[in-house]
Amino acid sequence: MSTNPMHQFNVYRIGPEINLGNVDISFTNASLFMIISALTIVSVLFVGTRRKAIVPTKIQLLTELSYTLVSKMISDTAGLKAKPYFPFVFSLFMFVLFCNMLGMLPYSFTVTSHIIVTFALAAIIFLGVTIIGFVNHGIGYLKLFIPSGVPLFLLPLIVIIEIISYLSRPVSLSVRLFANMMAGHTMLKVFGGFVISLGVLGGLLPLSFTVALTGLEILIAFLQAYVFAILTCIYLNDALNLKH
Amino acid sequence: MKKFSELSTRLKIAKKKANKNSFNGNKKSSSALGTALKLSTEMVAAVFVGSIIGFILDNWFDSKPWLTVIFFFVGAVAGILNVIRSAKLMQKNND
Repeated sequence: MSTNPMHQFNVYRIGPEINLGNVDISFTNASLFMIISALTIVSVLFVGTRRKAIVPTKIQLLTELSYTLVSKMISDTAGLKAKPYFPFVFSLFMFVLFCNMLGMLPYSFTVTSHIIVTFALAAIIFLGVTIIGFVNHGIGYLKLFIPSGVPLFLLPLIVIIEIISYLSRPVSLSVRLFANMMAGHTMLKVFGGFVISLGVLGGLLPLSFTVALTGLEILIAFLQAYVFAILTCIYLNDALNLKH
Repeated sequence: MKKFSELSTRLKIAKKKANKNSFNGNKKSSSALGTALKLSTEMVAAVFVGSIIGFILDNWFDSKPWLTVIFFFVGAVAGILNVIRSAKLMQKNND
């Protein structure tokens, strides 16, 4: 095991190399951990909803809490119209949450610390929300780019600014999640390296830091999944209930 | 029967409390670090997207480097707009 703090982000191939045309679609450790988190979500939800006891078990409580959290989030931010999109937001929230949380286990791999993964998620959201907006409002969805009460001679500039602001959504969404996860894990590894290099006595201070940082990281792992989901709801709100 | 009515009042009180608690919990759940990171990514993302658009347009119209420079600043303006919007949203959630 190398002491390089970036070593934990290496993607390597597991099993044979598979090529589809020019694209390398081999099975990697990233794909492995995505599958693991998806399977974990499915099994947790399956066990949690199997017996609907009045006094819930811990897993049932977890399931119900996550359900109410997401359902409340959707109705608070995007209103009743967004209810049909609950399955999408819920699976998104659970996937990001479990990828983040599984990354906190030692020797595991954090899928969300790679920008291509988070950007793919954000791009799906962006495209989906744009399509929903155009389906619901037709060409009138373009009014999103024209704020009310703007003088005519400023309009071209404002429209360009609004379009850039709209296009920057998937970038900021993906960069936020990726930067948080990568920075946190690098920091943990760096402090872990200090413990080894400073020896028994000097290592106590960085060790306590590592413990505190682990707690903080778990908080951030949850918070980022929450922020990811709530921003999806806000974008959905823009697409469903057009203002201006 | 008396027990049932007692239970229902107790349930009502508990529900009220739970609603209040979850509402307050959501407000405080974003840490200061999270806020700072959120606002900074909003800013950086818009500048980045603006510069990319400028770069692509430069390649189209063969006008290097002027459109990149112009769109860099337009992107910065869009970034400030983004920051103000999300700050307003945070304020609304805090009230």
